[in-house]
Amino acid sequence: MLFTSIFFWQCGKDAGSSQFVASVGQAGSLARFAIVGNYLYTVDDHKLVVYDINNAGDPVARNTVDVGFGIETIFPFKDKLFIGSTSQVYIFSITDPLNPQKLSEAISPQVLRRCDPVVAKDTVAYATLRTNGACGGMQSVLVFYDIKDITKPIQKGTFRVSEPYGLGYQDNALYVCDKSGLLVFDITSAYAPLLKKTLNDGNYIDVIPYQGTLICWVIGGVIVYDITNNQDPLLLSKII
Amino acid sequence: MRKISIALLPFFLLACTHDPVNNSTNQINGFAPVYAVATDIAKITIQPARKTEQAGKIYAIGNYIFQNDINKGIHIINNRDKKNPVKIAFIQLPFSTEIAVKGNFLYSNNLSDLVIFDITDISKPALVKRIVNAFPPANQTYPPISNGSFECADASKGIVVGWELKMLTNPKCRR
Repeated sequence: MLFTSIFFWQCGKDAGSSQFVASVGQAGSLARFAIVGNYLYTVDDHKLVVYDINNAGDPVARNTVDVGFGIETIFPFKDKLFIGSTSQVYIFSITDPLNPQKLSEAISPQVLRRCDPVVAKDTVAYATLRTNGACGGMQSVLVFYDIKDITKPIQKGTFRVSEPYGLGYQDNALYVCDKSGLLVFDITSAYAPLLKKTLNDGNYIDVIPYQGTLICWVIGGVIVYDITNNQDPLLLSKII
Repeated sequence: MRKISIALLPFFLLACTHDPVNNSTNQINGFAPVYAVATDIAKITIQPARKTEQAGKIYAIGNYIFQNDINKGIHIINNRDKKNPVKIAFIQLPFSTEIAVKGNFLYSNNLSDLVIFDITDISKPALVKRIVNAFPPANQTYPPISNGSFECADASKGIVVGWELKMLTNPKCRR
């Protein structure tokens, strides 16, 4: 996430044309595609495929790795891929970009099923989990893992939410899309998120913190906030 | 593709106190199969900007935001003026759900194929490559998201190309 925000600005050959500008963009936490450097990683229900995109217009499939079942999301972080499935989080190393190696699987003991998506920051990973609670209802949580030892993720705690979807962070603010609204947490203390604010400008599904803005996928379109003050998003626009 | 059916929650809560079996007409928001024929799947064109129908995944790069319209295509949004973003075009791309961009190229899916567009002219993306069967076809039997009832797939109606959320009456299948 951090290194994808390094941009290479180019000048168009034709001053009048709408030349594209940045090298690689930013996906949300519910994505099935992830670009890291010159490689595109895609996940389907059960496998991870590596495409060589050195020549961006001509991807070439170079490797396929079986991951598990019910794979739904992929999140790149430094030289790791966090892959969210309906039951757990798989962590792969891409030190060798063409040969992802599985490092660990994080399973929440409180959760029977539904475990995605996930984002990672420094030595902490956040995931939204949904479980089957009493009387067929749902009890969902935001869960935090200590990933100092990436091969042994340790669950550090949970925060009860209604029905969570995607999530993302910028610096010490974590944004969680939930049925109850967009939850804004202070994560200065990484394993003890503090709920600071709940926004209700739409029905939030996923977020991309991007260049000082928070781009939200909502039912019906997009909502963009200014997050210069990252724990106090200011509404900029709604796109329908 | 994740469950967007917020309406499911009250249904489950209701189940605590009422027996849903006793409801003669059980209306819930759930998944139903989407069927298609091969000729519809291949219709890829560049269209004028249009209203978002079923908002899907988003992708940000530079001053642009891309948003998938689930199973229909991709909205291209110029967000240079942060308070007044402008939709500039729509890639009609049947059964697409994913978006990623590197340089002047956009990656997405056309059902089970990986497709690559040259977006050098952002208002006129051009399809430059297709990798067939990059992804397995949609599950023919059940939706991607569980935890609820759904409309059973009927093979006689065609190939299941995806699953969409809609209001269902007495859905027979459950997962």
